[in-house]
Amino acid sequence: MNNVALLFNGVWSHYVFATAPKYRDIYQLVYVHDLTDARLATMRALVIPFQSNQDAIAERKGVIYRFLAAGNTVFVEGDSRPDWLDAQWEDRPVNNYWWVEHPNNPPVADTNVQHPLFRGLQPRHACWHTHGAYTRIPSEARVVQRNGDGEIVSWETNQYGGCLFATTLDGIVEQGVQQITHLDNFCDNLTEWLSGVRPSRERMTIDPAAYGITTISR
Amino acid sequence: MLNIVVIHNGIHELELMFQPTAEASYTFVRTGPGFPERLAATLATADALLVPNGSDHVAMLDASNVVVEFLQAGKTLFCFDGWFTAWIPGNHWQMDNSRRTIEIRYQIGTDQHNILDGVAIDELIFNHGISGWWACGFITPAANAEVLLTDTWGRAMVVLDEATTPGRMILTSSGPLADFRYDGSNSNALSHLYRNLLEYSSQKIQP
Repeated sequence: MNNVALLFNGVWSHYVFATAPKYRDIYQLVYVHDLTDARLATMRALVIPFQSNQDAIAERKGVIYRFLAAGNTVFVEGDSRPDWLDAQWEDRPVNNYWWVEHPNNPPVADTNVQHPLFRGLQPRHACWHTHGAYTRIPSEARVVQRNGDGEIVSWETNQYGGCLFATTLDGIVEQGVQQITHLDNFCDNLTEWLSGVRPSRERMTIDPAAYGITTISR
Repeated sequence: MLNIVVIHNGIHELELMFQPTAEASYTFVRTGPGFPERLAATLATADALLVPNGSDHVAMLDASNVVVEFLQAGKTLFCFDGWFTAWIPGNHWQMDNSRRTIEIRYQIGTDQHNILDGVAIDELIFNHGISGWWACGFITPAANAEVLLTDTWGRAMVVLDEATTPGRMILTSSGPLADFRYDGSNSNALSHLYRNLLEYSSQKIQP
């Protein structure tokens, strides 16, 4: 099927996620330097993960907004830049250990649990850590998550056609890293929302045959 | 002083981790169209190539011949990342999630050159009491490569390979290393290990 494009910066965690058996028939890696309208022609969603190439995205933002204008979904994680996203992202310290030191005080304080991305999730499954906050969002955007200081963590808008969702969470990268064991909950919700298909319930596994490759499809 | 070329794939604030010091100067090479040629030209005057955590291993596969040529000239490769493409001669990295991170502990391997001297191994294992935060997956090292650090199950986490090519390859199993003094982490084990690696590599510069 492979109807969700995962914009690929050659980063290992992106690769681990997209080649995992439970996700590999849904996501299609699209190397960021090869991003064109044609590469997205059969896709219904585009994921721009944390640790993306901000320069290359800015150079190709026309592809992204034409994809949105056609009614498709774009999902952005981590940091972004105002030269391709009409919003202001700012860095903040990352707290990876709140669940040890302050387990009742997660970095996200308020989540719209009616949103399909977060529906049915436990509060700790809706946030592991954040990479910064948004201090400005597009004029018609709706806030989906805020941190304890009231700053915006996640937002979405339909003002460009399809749904543009941005968050400072980094679910794709962290699911690839596999140091947080509950991320199947979030990533399976995300995958169903983007692709229309619910992945298998089992914990993500890794195919050793995907490593040490000498060619990669472009 | 080492002249180091760092691969830059446009991720946020990569430059902060590689600021010039008395031990090293840095030149960044951007990925994208023309990358292999750009890398080859920049490496002409470099002592070392550094592939940081979060790097682009599609670009590195495209430039694998450039890397081999650099190593054949006796130069140094640092890769502190998970190389899922086969651009590093003789050594293989793969991701694995079959072991529990709570059980991860590291042990010093052969370390014939005392590269781990003064490095607080516990800081590589634990962060705020949480284990398994640093490296991911494991390395299958080349024959005769030196394994500096292993994990609970004896798998290679840090490798020094001076056997496969005339140069040297210093590889982590995706564990990030840099000089983190820029953010005040002066005694951090990662910075300490990184500076030890720079010092060892500096000794290998041919006059």
